[in-house]
Formats: sequence, C-alpha cells, structure tokens
Amino acid sequence: MGNEVRNKVKEEVKTEHEDKVKKEAKDEMKNEMKGEMKNEIKNEMKGEPEKKENGNKTEIEMKTTPGENSDIIIEGIDIVRTFKMGEVQVRALRGVNVKIRRGEFVAIMGPSGSGKTTLLNQLGLLDTPNSGRVIIDETDTSRMPDREKGKFRLHNLGYVFQDYALLPELDASENVYISLMMQGKTKEEYESAAAEILTAVGLGDRLHQLPSKMSGGQQQRVSIARALAHNPRVLFADEPCANLDSQTSKEVLDLFKKFNKEMGQTIVMVTHEDWHAAYADRVIRLKDGILE
Amino acid sequence: MLEKAKVSFFLASRSIVRGNRGITIFTVFVLTLIFVQLVLFSSMLAGVTLKFNELMVDFQTGNVVVEPTEEERYIESASALQKKIESLPQVVGTSARLKTTGNFRYKEKEMGGTVYGIDPADEIFVTGLEDAVISGEFLSRPDRGEIILGREVSGSFGALMESRSLGGVEVGDTVELTVSGKTREFRVKGIYTTRYFMADASAYLSRADMEEMLGIENRDFAQEIAVKTTAGTDEYETRNALLSLGVRENIRTWHEFAGILRLIENTLGLVRNIMNAIGLLIAFVIIFVVIYVNIVNKKRQIGVQKAIGIEQNVIVASFVLQAMLYAGTGIILGYAFMRFGLVPYTESNPVEIPLGAMSLRLDDAEAINRAFLLFLASIIGSVIPAYKLAQKDLLDLIWGK
Repeated sequence: MGNEVRNKVKEEVKTEHEDKVKKEAKDEMKNEMKGEMKNEIKNEMKGEPEKKENGNKTEIEMKTTPGENSDIIIEGIDIVRTFKMGEVQVRALRGVNVKIRRGEFVAIMGPSGSGKTTLLNQLGLLDTPNSGRVIIDETDTSRMPDREKGKFRLHNLGYVFQDYALLPELDASENVYISLMMQGKTKEEYESAAAEILTAVGLGDRLHQLPSKMSGGQQQRVSIARALAHNPRVLFADEPCANLDSQTSKEVLDLFKKFNKEMGQTIVMVTHEDWHAAYADRVIRLKDGILE
Repeated sequence: MLEKAKVSFFLASRSIVRGNRGITIFTVFVLTLIFVQLVLFSSMLAGVTLKFNELMVDFQTGNVVVEPTEEERYIESASALQKKIESLPQVVGTSARLKTTGNFRYKEKEMGGTVYGIDPADEIFVTGLEDAVISGEFLSRPDRGEIILGREVSGSFGALMESRSLGGVEVGDTVELTVSGKTREFRVKGIYTTRYFMADASAYLSRADMEEMLGIENRDFAQEIAVKTTAGTDEYETRNALLSLGVRENIRTWHEFAGILRLIENTLGLVRNIMNAIGLLIAFVIIFVVIYVNIVNKKRQIGVQKAIGIEQNVIVASFVLQAMLYAGTGIILGYAFMRFGLVPYTESNPVEIPLGAMSLRLDDAEAINRAFLLFLASIIGSVIPAYKLAQKDLLDLIWGK
C-alpha cells in the first residue's frame, strides 16, 4: 500500500474520531428511525413460539433483561470453540467475552490462527460455540435450533465474505434480492430495494450483470449490497478486502464507513491489516483464542 | 410457503438457464434415452402382439368363427347359414370348413396335423392363404386329390420345426393322408407359409375330398364357418348382429382362439416389466450421479445460501425442481421422438422379424405410466443427494469440505 493512501486514510480516521461524539448523538436518532422497521422484523423473528401473553404485556422468553445493556447489540459471553482436527483437539476460542455497541464499527484483529474468523462466525451465528452464549440485540441465540438461526440470519444479519461468495448463476440484482425474496417481499419491493442499494454502492448501471463479468471490487460491492439490502442489525465482514488491491480495498472500506456513519450500521469486520482496522471505531485483538 | 416455492423455482430456473449448458444437455439427453428405452420395449411388444393377432385373423380364424353347438358335431345346412351370415353388411365373406386331425406320411416320415376341407372360392374372401403360397398354386374349386401343405408340414422353406416335418416335400410330390381310418394319396399342389407356426402346421384340401374321407358326402355339413368382416368392425358387435339374425350356433371371436398368444404376450410382459425395473434403476442411478456431481460442485453456493438465510428445504427443493425439469424435458423429447419419429418410421419401413414385417405401437397409457415412474425416479434421485448435502454443517459447506 502506498504511503499516500495510508496517510489519507489516517487523516480520515482522525477526522472521524473528532466527529465521534457528534456521531453518537446522531446514531441515537438514526437508530430510532431504523428501529421502527427493524422492530417489525424483530417481532417477526421473535414470533409466536416464544411469546407469552401476560395481561397487556408480551414477554419474549429469549430476551435478556432490558436496561443497562440496551445499547449493546452483541454480547459474547465466555465463548469456547474447539475443533477436532484428526485426533487433535484445537481450542480456537478459549473463553472470549466481547461486547459490541449499536452503531459501532469494530475490527477484529490478530495473527493467523488467533481465532478471528472463528469469533466472527460465533457472533454471526454461522457456527455454534461449544460453550458460552451469544446475545444479539437482547436475544439469546445459544439455545436456538439451526432452523431458527437461519431465520434470524435472514432477517437480522448480513455477511460479506473474503471471496465475495456471490451465486454465479444470479446477476447482481438477483444476488441482492434473493434474501428479500426469501423474506416474502413482493417483486416490486425486492427489485426496487436491490436497485436502490446497488446504486448506493455505485453499481446502479450493472444491475443485470453476472458476477463472472465483474471485477473483484465490483463483486465485493454486490456482496456488500446483498448484506445490507434487508437492513440487517449487524453486518459481519470476514477479511472483505483480502482479495482486493489497495485502491479497491479503500473503496470498499469507504463504503463500510459510509453505511456506518450515515445509517448507523453496526459492522464487525475481521482484518489483518492495520490500515483497514483504522476505519473501525474500536479494535478487538485476539491471540491464541483469547482477547489480548 | 408460496415464497419458499418461488425462491426454489427461481434458483432452479436460474441454475438451468445460466448454469453449465453441457451438463444440462447431457442430463436431458440421458433422460430422453432412458424414457425411449422404457417405452421402446413396450412398443415392440405391442407391435409383435398386433402382428400375432393379424396373422391369426388373416390366416386362420377370420374375425368371428361360428361352430356347432356343444351337442352337435357339425353345422347342418352350412350353405344356408353362410348366406344368412353374408347378408350382414359388415361381413366380407364366409368360409365353411370341415376340420379334423390327420396323419401325413411321405417316404419314411410321418406327422400329425390339422386338415381343413375348404371351398377355395369362399376361402379367399376370408383368409390370405392364396397369397401365402410360396411354391406351386392355391387350390381351385374343381381340384380333387390335391392338397396344400403348410411349411411346418412339408419341411424346408425355413420351417421352424423342420425335424417334426415331412422333411422336404415339394410341389408335385405325393403324400399319404389318413383321416378317420381312411388313407388316401394326395398330390401336393402348393406349399404356403403365413410365418405363424400354428397356421403353418396345417393342410388344406377341397371340401369334396374331405367329405369323402369323413363319409359325409353331399350333406352340406361344416365344422366351422369362418367369418371375415370389414376393417375396423368390432368383433363383439358382429357376434351380437349374428345372434340377432337368429344364429343358434356357438359364435366365438378370434380373441377366444388366442390362448397361446396370450401366454406368449404375458411372458413377454413379464420380461418387459423386469426390463422396465432395470431401466428405472439405471435412471435413478444416473439422476443421482448427475445431481450429486452438480451439487458437490455447488457445495460452497449451498453454504452461502444457508448463511444468508435460505432455508434448507428451499435449497433441496431447488435441486429437486431442476431434476424434475430435466426429467420433464427428457420425457417430452423422448415421447416426441417415439411418436413423431421412430413409430411413423417403422410404420413406413417395417422391421422384418421372423413373424413378418412389424412396426412399433406406442400406447399413450403406457407412455404416461413410464413418464410417471421416471419422474418419481428423478425426484428420489435428487432428494437424497440434495438433502444429504444441504444438511451438512454450514461452515463445512462454505469451506468446501
């Protein structure tokens, strides 16, 4: 990466830190705006099986006690994840405790094998810890069956993978709206939502292009659009710039920052590049499966 | 529910339209061949059965046979009954026959067979024997002391049971015939083959000669009257018409003489069912392999779909739908190939088989049955691999494990 780009990023980060206090106030307001729509989805997810009618109050079993933690969108409590590799047990995470605030942009860093991606997978409900709990927006996901987790991911979480992970047989727009389709949105709704978000990531003129006809950067933008199309509560990104050159990486990270700042999007990103992490509000460092 | 079906169909259609064309074409081609294989044997069997039936009607029984009542040995006043029957508009001709078993002798060889005493002028309106003569000539009304032999009696001419025959009688030779204890010599006037071995194991002589041998000269007796009707006339309607005319004798349609044919048909049917089962098993394995290979190549995609919240049953259904679309296309192409290609081709260019020229007969009910079974095989063949893989751990799928 050239020094020029690095300095520019640093400058931007500095300015962002100065704006942080203002941002937090703004975020509160935005969260309120987003809240209405998200609550709709939330209610859908936390639907009937968990609901108990108690007079005029509706209690949701999986909910933790609201109050002091209401600003915490993700809480990982004592997460342990062990993998079996042949005869050997590898402890990828050895009791990690982590809290991520609403609207926060968090980077997870650490050397290879430190458990960064494993932690992201636990927090993003792509994997299940051997022990410990993951609470997302006051919903304890640790006892959720796989099917419920799938529904939860569909409505509440977004993912950006290292190698874009687009479905090659779907064009940009279709890749973006497939999850909206699955949510049961109408054709008009999902098509316009896809067009809107693809325009927001700068691909308004490539709605019907297949991934094979796009550059890496463009594919990653489609991937970001897909992750954001359904207004997720949290966006998880696993080394989103690993396959991109510096300039394209910067464009992608700028996009993240833009959505984080303007929409109050909570982002959890794994990276091993310091200058990528500089975009984040906070860095969680891992080493040998524990927080540094 | 509808959204899920919509997403499954969406994924399946995109996969077919934008996926690997080679795999799609190969799969459809294989399924087309399997469908053709499944219906081809049935069509051949139907063709052979039809040929058997035709041979029987054309060379032995005609459409309907009138026989004496159980108490009687002969039909009396046969000519009067013939005229009565011929008054029906759908009747083309009748032949009053005397029919018995006899013993043939030629040089050192002897054999038994059915002997018919006929009026040649009447017989030509009922059976195609005249055209089946392959050596010499057919009988004519004034002929006396002359006989027509089927090739299974004469031997040679490609007889199927040569060793049982008289071993190579030729036109002009003299054979001895013993009927009801009376033995007479007959000059062989002609040798015929219908290619239907039962009809070919008989001999024909004039009614006058037969009456003489049976000792019933000038009695106007017959043991059966074979009735030929116009093409397309239903045999059971003819029987009813004859009953309405007041015919009191036994009236049997050719179907009732087809006992051995039914036996052959049922045996072939059993073989057909075994072949169908094998064909379906092959279809199942091929569909399984094709879908499995297809799915294994899409492991990561399945993982991503699961990650973004596409339900497992939606993913499985998308693969099943693909298999059903492949099977549907294969069935349509296979049916079109049979209906508009192979069947009309064999009708205009019949296949020569030992029974004669045969063309394929495609039965739509059978085709639908095979299509249904193939469809079922495609569903099972795709559900198993799709379900097995979609059930795998999400991260294993994403990492392509």
